[in-house]
Amino acid sequence: MSAPLTKEFLAEEVRRYHHFITLALWLAAITGVEIVLIFIPLPLAVIFTLLCLLSAVKFFAVILWFMHLIYDHRLLFWVFIAGLALAFATFTALLALFHVDRIDTKWFS
Amino acid sequence: MSQVAESSHAPTSTGIDHKKLIMWLFLASDCMFFGTLISTHLIYRKLYPTGFTDAEGHQHFVQRLFDIELTSFSTFILLMSSFLMALAVSAMHKGQIKSFRRNVLGVIIFGLIFLGCQVYEFTHFYHMGLTIQNSVFGSTFYVLTGTHGTHVAIGVLWLILLYFYSFTGKLGGHVGALDVEVAGLYWHFVDIVWIIIFTVVYLIEYLGPNGFWGTGLPIAK
Repeated sequence: MSAPLTKEFLAEEVRRYHHFITLALWLAAITGVEIVLIFIPLPLAVIFTLLCLLSAVKFFAVILWFMHLIYDHRLLFWVFIAGLALAFATFTALLALFHVDRIDTKWFS
Repeated sequence: MSQVAESSHAPTSTGIDHKKLIMWLFLASDCMFFGTLISTHLIYRKLYPTGFTDAEGHQHFVQRLFDIELTSFSTFILLMSSFLMALAVSAMHKGQIKSFRRNVLGVIIFGLIFLGCQVYEFTHFYHMGLTIQNSVFGSTFYVLTGTHGTHVAIGVLWLILLYFYSFTGKLGGHVGALDVEVAGLYWHFVDIVWIIIFTVVYLIEYLGPNGFWGTGLPIAK
């Protein structure tokens, strides 16, 4: 391995190892909370917002720690965020374009 | 740490290894791909909320179709596979090839379990009368989850190849660690896409007394 296996390097890897374990436990716990949430009789808007927030937390936790974006070159973060922003903009634009009432009928579904 | 990792990179104009940069560019473009698929699914769920009609003319509701236990299990499996992949990458950085093999084998097994769950789910839906052709919901659902499943299958194949390649003794050093890291990035991406799909395709179907899309159907099974 050409990367120097210095004491500092190994200590950092061990630190990351513990981060990964903690994160995996958090991810499992958040998924459990999401599943419980859908059966709680709260207003739909509240649960929907909470589900979106929890998904976003899981999403960013994985990209930052498991995918090393928090440790890597800053450019990689912005490359990915650019793609993500375009996807989100497309998503928002499409939802806005099709923001019409239900057109479903029982014979056309 | 970043100084240690960067010092082992081949010199590039950006200071980032080209393989890693290309993979991140690909993942950014794949974000847009899945973004459009998810948007399409949600728009058509809104426009055609009542579900689908099978070959015998029976009306089916999506809320009754999904199996939250199976989907939750699949989600948990994929999250844990991502954890094992992070450990496999870490092992390769430390030059621990045996630890890498153990962890990557775990990822492969978890990936195959996820695919098995998806095959079971698709088969079950097909027998319930949902096909890719008989409704808008069927089309968008199968295309979206099928595309994700294809990504998982490609990831599993990639990791199987890496696993066997590691026995040749050529998967070592900085280049080997980088190859594993790039495969890991792909695998984690598959995981984050599923995090979104799990919420916007599956979980929201259970919300509200009349279903999220207001079909007037109580969610009690």
